[in-house]
Amino acid sequence: MNLLLNSLGILSVSILLILLTARDRKISAGIFLISLTAGCALAFLSAVDVLVSRIPVDCRLNLRMPIGEFHIGMDLLSAFFLLTIIILFFLAGVYGYGYLKDHQEKNPCVHFALYHLALISLMLVVTAQNAILFLIAWEMMTITSYFLITFYDERKAVRKAGYLYLIATHTGTFCLWIMFLLMDQHAGSMNFDQMALTSFPLPLAAMLFVFGIIGFGVKAGFIPLHIWLPHAHPAAPSHISAVLSGVMIKAGIYGLLRLILIVKNFPEWCAAALLFIGMISGVGGVLYALGQHEIKKLLAYHSIENIGIITLGMGVGLWGQIYQNEFVTLIGYAGALLHVFNHAIFKGLLFLSAGSVIRATHTGEIDHLGGLLKYLPWTGHLFLIGCLSICGLPLFNGFVSEWLVFRALFEGISHFQVNAIVVSGLGIIALALIGGLAAACFAKAFGAIFLGQSRSLDNTQVKENSALIYAPMSVLGGICLWIGLFPRVMVSFSLDTASEISSIKISPLTEGTILTPLLTTVLVLLILATLAAILTLLKRMAIRSLPVTKAQTWGCGYSAPTPRMQYTASSFAEPILQIFRNVLGYAVKGGKPQGYFPQETEASSRIVEASETVFFRPLFYFIRFLSAKLRIIQYGYTQLYLFYIFTFLLIVLLWKMV
Amino acid sequence: MGIQILLHLSVVLILSPLLMGIIGKTKAFFAGRWGPPLLQVYYDIGKLFRKGNVYSTTTTWIFQAAPIISMAAILASAMLIPLGSLTAPLQFWGDVILFAYLYGLARFFMVLAAWDTGSSFEGMGASREAAFSCLAEVALFLNFMILALLSKKLVLSEMIQGNILSAWHSFGPVLLLMGGSYFMVLLAENARIPVDDPATHLELTMIHEVMVLDHSGWDLGYILYTSAIKLFILGSLFVNILIPSHDLSPVLQTAIFSGGMIILAVIIGTVESGMARIRLNRVPQLLISAFVLALVGLLVVLLKRPSV
Repeated sequence: MNLLLNSLGILSVSILLILLTARDRKISAGIFLISLTAGCALAFLSAVDVLVSRIPVDCRLNLRMPIGEFHIGMDLLSAFFLLTIIILFFLAGVYGYGYLKDHQEKNPCVHFALYHLALISLMLVVTAQNAILFLIAWEMMTITSYFLITFYDERKAVRKAGYLYLIATHTGTFCLWIMFLLMDQHAGSMNFDQMALTSFPLPLAAMLFVFGIIGFGVKAGFIPLHIWLPHAHPAAPSHISAVLSGVMIKAGIYGLLRLILIVKNFPEWCAAALLFIGMISGVGGVLYALGQHEIKKLLAYHSIENIGIITLGMGVGLWGQIYQNEFVTLIGYAGALLHVFNHAIFKGLLFLSAGSVIRATHTGEIDHLGGLLKYLPWTGHLFLIGCLSICGLPLFNGFVSEWLVFRALFEGISHFQVNAIVVSGLGIIALALIGGLAAACFAKAFGAIFLGQSRSLDNTQVKENSALIYAPMSVLGGICLWIGLFPRVMVSFSLDTASEISSIKISPLTEGTILTPLLTTVLVLLILATLAAILTLLKRMAIRSLPVTKAQTWGCGYSAPTPRMQYTASSFAEPILQIFRNVLGYAVKGGKPQGYFPQETEASSRIVEASETVFFRPLFYFIRFLSAKLRIIQYGYTQLYLFYIFTFLLIVLLWKMV
Repeated sequence: MGIQILLHLSVVLILSPLLMGIIGKTKAFFAGRWGPPLLQVYYDIGKLFRKGNVYSTTTTWIFQAAPIISMAAILASAMLIPLGSLTAPLQFWGDVILFAYLYGLARFFMVLAAWDTGSSFEGMGASREAAFSCLAEVALFLNFMILALLSKKLVLSEMIQGNILSAWHSFGPVLLLMGGSYFMVLLAENARIPVDDPATHLELTMIHEVMVLDHSGWDLGYILYTSAIKLFILGSLFVNILIPSHDLSPVLQTAIFSGGMIILAVIIGTVESGMARIRLNRVPQLLISAFVLALVGLLVVLLKRPSV
């Protein structure tokens, strides 16, 4: 625990130092880097210590806060999320240092200070053991991340995205206040440990669940509460997008898991609701992503997809808990948790490499790029690793967690009752669909950006970024591969955490049944690698005596192909979008040649964000309409306002008297 | 286990092109021709292995690695299924998921190889392959779900083992529905008529063939070999599902298995001779009907379950 407090101390002090030395960019950036390393190292050690020893630690400071006490502690759940946060924040921070070091227009030191503040608040969110402290940290996290997102505040779209983010998350926080107040009322304490000792009646649990889903769901980006997410992620600098998508939205997942840990007993429909949310967010997220052709927006939608997968795992876990099926519970939660970690790693990697592409080419429009693998070798290959991981393909970490979620769902259909079988069955279908669509989407992204030829840029001007940019990315890529090939450590961490959430003891036998198949999977992958090596060797040996020629790509007889004639990302995604056109409101405008000698024409395709245009926009217009009516009472006379205050006080007094 | 793996590998490697040969003979029979010899695919692969390669200047290592990774992944997936009396060398809980994802890995790299050439024809093929395989994968998983519900297991070789008589007696309708659904997936995955036509040379009408337009020599040989192996593996899974011959003697098992495979090849050949390739925008409908068949099968299983 001391380690964690020290780390918080170092980070807080360094915020001051960074701001004080703001005049000299070099010094303040240096302080940022050193304090980030030190703070993260200490916090990392403390989290690993808890995860390995499986002993929760606790710390109460007798600081008198307005309501409640300063109580932070680290159980396995906190430690697991802390570990995720620390790894990504550290690597993204180093990357950010490299990314903004030579930023001419702006002094990044305020940005660096805010980055530290965001890290501190996020660390507090996952370690707070008191609802008030949690909410304060939550609010701090929201506000600091608002400023981090609006780094390029001279652009209008960025300001708009930041504003939307602020409104959306505050609406969520409102629900969280209600939720915690309800819990406080029943348990008689704002401390989580006290709350966990009370048993909540089912109707109250259901109510808490609804508020929790809305409050935390806005942050996590459940469809249809996700509308801020695809705007905010592309607006932010890439390392901020990485931490936003990698860990900030996971705070919502953390909150839900904490709620499950505290309340324990939920009605059955809550589990079904979680599964349905998971399916809708998962499939919806990946479909919207297919329709996006701006790299960071595409990645932002994929965060929604992955939150969906995590929620599927949580849902099946909760259902297992309701049916008291220990195995399904454990494996469902463990899958969700491991996917939280994995998603932080590979999505961080993808956002950072997207940032590297944007830094090198000054555009994120997929259809302008092409052929970058030869010019950005580090970025390209690391992006490929990220793609393979996020699609859940074998050899990489995404496969391990998706496998666990799949396994939980399949165990679900063989052990549950009929209604649960139907819902988990739908979950399996959704997860299979997500897998296929995600593979299509990332084949599109990687293929269009890194393969073929550039569509509008001059690639020879493109230079690989400095090592400070790609070194953190390489570490993330290494972690992806490490978990894919040696899943044991992280799987057992997540199993332990899952056992804490569900208060089920894991027997070594259970752990074996879960781990052995995973390790055999690795064996199959070894066979795959051996076979690939043999095939390569055979070809190498044979081809020595055979002619190998270089030529232009076969254009079916057309002799003057240009890079503009390549297939584009939008045309690649078209067949899939056509299949789902009714859900997505997909429409292609123009593009039809007219007459015998057609003139130049243009085609554009678009998809409709249903929840934004159909639901939230009308809702907010309605609210604006109503509040405009209230303007009647607004005259601008101070006297009148004093009168209002007086009337209000009078009403309150009368109410209290009666 | 090492010997088992090698045995499995060699069976798959040696026998798979033969299946394509049988299909070719069947098609020739219906067309009233003598047709290419049974061993034609072996000759084709052998010929390609003696040819040099032409590489586009646009391509990177991915173009050359894709056929190898794809073939290795498909061969690795063969480790998970029983072939006649040979049991699967590796069996573990959840291997179906790995099985499906190995195909995903192979496909992902082939699609990337298509992007790598920068050719719009290949992009077109890749795009269609990606779109249709999403739907095919869903239908495939539904079939796995039915098997998992029937057998209460998720180990591929345990899911498909059973006694012919008892399985058909109690779950006849389900097996039929699943067989229909799986057969469509099989045709789609292997780029056969009515989804795709492996024989045409009109690039615009094809899916899989147009995706590999730029490959030559050894790479093309690997690709051809891989598609034969893929048909063999998915086909043997089909035979195993419909003719569960688990508790028979090894000789009988092998006989049933090889008989089943030959019949399957003849059926595919017949379908190809009797049908035209359907229009591209109809392919999703075909795959969705595979999905619906499996869904109905799933419902039957759920209704027939003894109530808990």
